[in-house]
Amino acid sequence: MITVSNLSKSYNGVQVLNLENLDIPKGQSFGLVGNNGAGKTTFFSLLLDLIQPTTGYIKNKNVLVHESEDWKPFTSSFIDESFLIGYLTAEEYFYFIGELRGENKSDVDSLLAQFEDFFHDEILGKKKYLRDLSKGNQKKAGIVAALIGNPEVIILDEPFANLDPTTQIRLKQIIKHLAEKQGVTVLVSSHDLMHVTDVCERIVVLEKGEMVKDLATSEATLKELEAHFSN
Amino acid sequence: MIKHFLNLEWKQFKRASYFQKGLAIKILLFLAVLYFGGIAIFIGGIMFFGLEKAFPDVDPIVMVNNYLIYWILFELMIRYFMQQLPVMNIKPLMIIPVKRNTIIHYLLGKTILSFFNFISLFLFLPFSIVLLFQGYPVIKVVLWFIAIMCINLSINFLNFLINKSNTVFYGIASVVIVVISLRYFNIFDVTEPIGKLFNGLYNQPFFALIPLLLMLGLYKVNFDFIRKGFYLDGAISKKVKEVEATDLSWMDRFGSMAPFLKNDVKMIWRNARPKQVLMMSFLFLFYGLIFYTQDIYRDMPAFLAFASIFVTGGFLLSFGQLVPSWDSEYYKMLMSQNIPYRQYLESKWYLMVVAVAVSFVLSTPYIYFGWEIFGMIAAGALFNIGLNTFITLFGGALNRVPIELNTKAKAFSNTNGFNPTQLLIALPKMVLPMLLFYIPYKLINFNAGLIALALSGVIGLVFKNFFLNKIEGIYQKGKYKTIAAFSEKK
Repeated sequence: MITVSNLSKSYNGVQVLNLENLDIPKGQSFGLVGNNGAGKTTFFSLLLDLIQPTTGYIKNKNVLVHESEDWKPFTSSFIDESFLIGYLTAEEYFYFIGELRGENKSDVDSLLAQFEDFFHDEILGKKKYLRDLSKGNQKKAGIVAALIGNPEVIILDEPFANLDPTTQIRLKQIIKHLAEKQGVTVLVSSHDLMHVTDVCERIVVLEKGEMVKDLATSEATLKELEAHFSN
Repeated sequence: MIKHFLNLEWKQFKRASYFQKGLAIKILLFLAVLYFGGIAIFIGGIMFFGLEKAFPDVDPIVMVNNYLIYWILFELMIRYFMQQLPVMNIKPLMIIPVKRNTIIHYLLGKTILSFFNFISLFLFLPFSIVLLFQGYPVIKVVLWFIAIMCINLSINFLNFLINKSNTVFYGIASVVIVVISLRYFNIFDVTEPIGKLFNGLYNQPFFALIPLLLMLGLYKVNFDFIRKGFYLDGAISKKVKEVEATDLSWMDRFGSMAPFLKNDVKMIWRNARPKQVLMMSFLFLFYGLIFYTQDIYRDMPAFLAFASIFVTGGFLLSFGQLVPSWDSEYYKMLMSQNIPYRQYLESKWYLMVVAVAVSFVLSTPYIYFGWEIFGMIAAGALFNIGLNTFITLFGGALNRVPIELNTKAKAFSNTNGFNPTQLLIALPKMVLPMLLFYIPYKLINFNAGLIALALSGVIGLVFKNFFLNKIEGIYQKGKYKTIAAFSEKK
């Protein structure tokens, strides 16, 4: 689904990301871990054509991301709060995203109905603008918005941060379900090794922009990751 | 302690984003401050002589006192829209071992140095000095001046109360409306008794105590207000507003543009900054009154063309010049969502066209000034729709300054979304219509000028797709730069 080739990004001669080769097949749940400044968000931003690669390219379903806009209809993402429109209510925001992705109100409503327990009664029908919600609730709204319109690729940056335990567990189920049952390619980054190993079939470790580990998740993965990060 | 505060303040000033902008901006800002300050001093200086000449039988100081109330109301209004209580910055100070009272005194004391307070100072200080030179009694003048300054500061403190509480705002607003309409309909002129009050202030110097006490009282009220609310969820919390939900589904008829248009309407309605701009653009409607009522401009129709552009183009000019900036808070989302750039730009274009059309309808009373004037406005509207919209969108491509949507623009830090390129791009918006009108007018006649101006707009409309494609290309090229600039911390 996603092919990365010779991708690098430098700012003023300092390289922050350098990925020679990376293939993410369709329907894989892909986890990205690494300390601060490892290049996770940089990679996601490149994937969404928010920054320009210094060298190389990313292909999303055979579309060259930095040259064509054709990847947009089947790709959705939630990177940070700047993906929310602060002056809308959660419903208005969902409908707006729905309209952009060619879904009508009832399509969106039926999708939202599945996430009732995820929202925990704190998002819908609250008569509050998104900017007035707490960080965690903003995140919930953003993540669900990224699921609207049957995307084939979903990119979530640090989706577990700021969420309460109940929601974290629920989110893990959702992500797993997306990848296994619906064949959606899900890319997730996280600082929480436990969550990533729970959710992702494959985990890539970034360090100072370089890929240092590429693991197929197994029983031993969590131990290996902990060992890697503790020295 | 105060020393630390001042140090922080200096850093805040020096490192503020508007101060770190280019040299050109700094110079412009400096000139603007000089200009307004200079004008105030100048007016203050000549006010005495001007009044003496215009109303030889009335003592200038009496005249000033009679109309002082309007100045006060005007100041209150300007402050309400422009000045903000700098209370947000105290959050980091709340947990440091400093006495709350110290922080609050400091905070309120700081507002005394606000630019707005200096306007009055610059105006009335020279006036008072002139009075002294004219041999008016020293004690009276000095105490009167002090009284005025106390009133000035009272307005300063009153404004924060108005800003914080809706009841105070509506109370004062209705009093103002009643007073003005009473005078307008010649029922009761409140100017006179209030004028007497101020004259009394001058004649009985010890009355100066009253404004002084008033000021201290308002200071105390403010102090208590902040003291009481000195908690995260108190005075410094953002106001959480109930959602004003409006059904905009009738806009769905605009097809693929509808979601954007609906969004823009909500954006304008629910955020402080665009609301301010909307209000300003409404005022532009009255711009014509300045030009059409004066006979000198009748002989300089190029200036009438200039004014006509403003009458229908207020929203276009003030909102449009900040086009991508309005969406700066969530620009990354827009860029990664399923939105072709073209559609985004086109929806903005429609918004501006609709605004021009609405302004045009609202400008029909100008028929009163004759069909020539109204024809000019109509031609100007066509130019606005057909060409100015594109010039404005093009200018937006060069504008990469993020906007905080829900923060009112403050005076002189209002460089949000302002840069020299903006100034350059503003030139053709105003000069071009003047030329388009003036050349055929000089060569042929008035009507030829009108037709040329209107025709240019029509031609622009015909080439709409061509222009939009070009503009899209420019936006596309600057995309990464724009994203980077918008995600910079303000």
